Amino acid sequence: MRALVIGAGKVGVNVARTLTGDGHDVVVVDNDERRAADLQPELDALVVHGNGASPRLLAEVNAGDADLVAAVTEVDEVNVIAALASRQLGARTTVARVRDPDFFGPDETFAHDVLGIDLVIDPDRATASDIARALVLPGSVAVEHFGDDRIVLAEVIVTPDSPVSGVPLGERERPFPAYIVGISRGEETMLTRPDLVPQPGDHLLVTAPRECVGKAIAHLCGRVEEVRDCVIFGAGSIGMHLARLLEDTKVRVKMFERDEQRARYVAERLRRTTVLHEEGISREAQEAAGVDEADAFVACAGDDRANLLAALYAKRLGADMCLAVVSREEFTPLVDALPIDAAYSPRLITSEAILRFVHARVVRGIYLTRSGFEVIELEAEPGAPIVGKVVGETHGMLSGKRVGAVLRGGEVLMPPQRIEIQAGDRVLMLGVEGSLAEAEPLFVSR
Amino acid sequence: MTRRVPPWLLVPALVCGGVVASCGAGMLFCAAVAALGDGRAVAALAVPGAGAVALGAGVVAFAGTRLVRSLTVHALTGFAAVTLAWVVAAAAAAVPLLASGALSDPLDAYFEAMSGFTTMGATVIDDLEAQPEGILMWRCLTQWLGGVGIVVLVVAVAPVSGPALQRAFYAEMSGLTTERLTPRIVGTAKIIAGIYVVLTAAGALAYLAAGLGLFDAVAHAFSTLATGGFSTRDASIGAFGSLGVELACMAGMTLGAINFAFYWLAITGRSLWPQLGEIRAFLGILAGASAAVTASLLLAGDADGFGEALRQGAFSAVSVTSSTGFTTADFDGWNSFARLALFGLMFVGGCAGSTAGGMKVIRVMLLGKIARQEVDRQLQPSGVQVLRAGRRAFPERVRGAVLGFALVYVLVFAAGALALAAIGLDLSTAVSAAASSINIVGPGLGDVGAVESYAELPQAALVVSALLMLIGRLELFTVVALLAAAFRLRR
Repeated sequence: MRALVIGAGKVGVNVARTLTGDGHDVVVVDNDERRAADLQPELDALVVHGNGASPRLLAEVNAGDADLVAAVTEVDEVNVIAALASRQLGARTTVARVRDPDFFGPDETFAHDVLGIDLVIDPDRATASDIARALVLPGSVAVEHFGDDRIVLAEVIVTPDSPVSGVPLGERERPFPAYIVGISRGEETMLTRPDLVPQPGDHLLVTAPRECVGKAIAHLCGRVEEVRDCVIFGAGSIGMHLARLLEDTKVRVKMFERDEQRARYVAERLRRTTVLHEEGISREAQEAAGVDEADAFVACAGDDRANLLAALYAKRLGADMCLAVVSREEFTPLVDALPIDAAYSPRLITSEAILRFVHARVVRGIYLTRSGFEVIELEAEPGAPIVGKVVGETHGMLSGKRVGAVLRGGEVLMPPQRIEIQAGDRVLMLGVEGSLAEAEPLFVSR
Repeated sequence: MTRRVPPWLLVPALVCGGVVASCGAGMLFCAAVAALGDGRAVAALAVPGAGAVALGAGVVAFAGTRLVRSLTVHALTGFAAVTLAWVVAAAAAAVPLLASGALSDPLDAYFEAMSGFTTMGATVIDDLEAQPEGILMWRCLTQWLGGVGIVVLVVAVAPVSGPALQRAFYAEMSGLTTERLTPRIVGTAKIIAGIYVVLTAAGALAYLAAGLGLFDAVAHAFSTLATGGFSTRDASIGAFGSLGVELACMAGMTLGAINFAFYWLAITGRSLWPQLGEIRAFLGILAGASAAVTASLLLAGDADGFGEALRQGAFSAVSVTSSTGFTTADFDGWNSFARLALFGLMFVGGCAGSTAGGMKVIRVMLLGKIARQEVDRQLQPSGVQVLRAGRRAFPERVRGAVLGFALVYVLVFAAGALALAAIGLDLSTAVSAAASSINIVGPGLGDVGAVESYAELPQAALVVSALLMLIGRLELFTVVALLAAAFRLRR
């Protein structure tokens, strides 16, 4: 596949790196000469300096022959023009990162049907909906849906009250069909083994059928309360999208915003949310807003440092679940050391969404957790090597990977049940980053 | 062509000319009704009608419409044009009342005409049944012309459009915010007038179906959809003693008191939510007020049985809240809770952008919100307060505008009540007549109660009442700002 990535920011580099890793030919365009020059030695791709929205440049890099054009610069207009121009030149698939919803019209289909952009991704909206999904499922810090939404993969924190805490995984009780595929402890990530003993503070990666995921998660993390009160720190576009999403649920939302105009703008556009014109980092402000009683605290202001600080403060005051949006990769290792329950990176989420879209033909899903795990969903084609093999007895075929669930027809099959893989099965697997590309050939017919 | 008329005079001249000509056309219609009906007062309507059409058309022709397209005028010119138009229209409308001998005193006739145009519906004529049909129709027609706004109707049929007409349009149109249904103001006026005509026709059909004769049905349709309250009978709607007529009347008053922009949004299939909050609140107020008045009638024994209490209570609540003022019962004889409740409902009025008077539901809603938010602010000083009605958020300046409107409203009402008391009216008459006038309802309590008329009031009281009506109908600031400007000019 030939791919053209316009914009060598965090998202662009992430997408380009993954695509080159998968063995595709990638051309990267960036208008910053210095950045282009710095990037060239790091990437096994052609890095071109120039304006990605220029038809001349697009013609020069053969955008018309590209199977994929991903326009992911910081500027909406450039992305839209680049995607439109490439499509006109003949590019087969176009993806544009667009923050301003005004560009993609009255509904989502406008971008696709009228503009001809196959995927429009708004990093802020995608981040907000990821956070909202985690908030709505109590006890989980991150949730992904696979297999036509029939299977859920959730990241759950083990508490001292949890029935699995201190019990070897092989001996745990299973009141609900749920399978633990991986554990991350501090900076270490492990695929599960029967002798592994979860400890309080561990993050479990759990697969479960959608119907019972709520109960399974509540059971595993040892608490059952739903999120009722949520405090959002920062009324930027992530905060506003998140509040919008939560307004459709029963969650009561309060929001800190230190800029008065922005606070008013947001308050006018939200219905039930209480917007406080307040910086929100001080103890007094957080106590006055009831952060100590809150079930969830989401720090999603524009400044990573403020987010971390506010989330730490909230945790100290007693907020139950504290999440922070952290854009800069440099902070990621730090987050693991802090008592913050989960961190979200809009850029990571954006590149995930793009990669998930790109892999859409055979690979049904990919989810790069912060901890370095990858999850993919593959469909076994008739005659593929994997067909006829039994999960757990593949003689090393799937070493370094863990099968979390199999979707056969409308039915979800989960280990430790004995599963013989058949053609047409969709298999959800967890593996350490990069290990899954090698699994793909096993599912393709020869 | 040389400019014959200076711009500050051109717009008032055009608007007044148009309004007078429209009045004349209305009189000619009533003359035709009279000629086909009882044949009385045909000349008293036809001659002033022809004169008014000629005069109005002459003024418009002299002023010339060529400049309107490009002319821009100061807001004050708009206020002046509209206020002047209403004063002149009432004078023109009073002529047939005098000429036919229905009223002998010019001031009485002027009061009656102003009460007609402002859709207040208070009358100084004591024996309506004895009046010629043409005059009765003319009274109801003045209400219809004034209901949605006579300037709106004139703009709707104006051959030209322009920013100057827009000033006049907005100076007359009631409401918190300016509604714009089409790019051109003439188009917006046409839509509003069209909706009005359709609603009125539907009202007339409903009355016919309920058993009224053609004459009564049309006359009452005029004064019902205009939320006016003029009737062809001394006993108002109660004279027919028909539940069907009362139900048709209640439906008509409610429809007339709903924002006309809502109908347009509904017809064109656009999102209704900007208007829904106010309409829901209005219907809620009607239902709640009907229930409360009915309950109080039952408990105090003012009505015989539940059916009668509900019929009278609901009709009075809808009639008073929509600022119409039709009556089916003498509510002045009811218990003091019911009377006080009706007095309070006068101030609520109908929805903004309708034919109803009062402060308008949206302002009352926002006043309630402001009060609640002030309390909330004590508990959470940093909370950002957004003024909202339903899903519609209002900009911050609306908060001050609503508070200012309420303040001036109460001040004007208080000044009016004081003036009426100084003239010699008793307390409940003075207070209720002032409230009834500024809210353009019609009946009040005491000497101006449901079965009384304004005929017994002293002449000075009629002047105060007519001024309050005009101020209330044009939503305070059009008239008050004009008076303030005039006062400053003289100094």
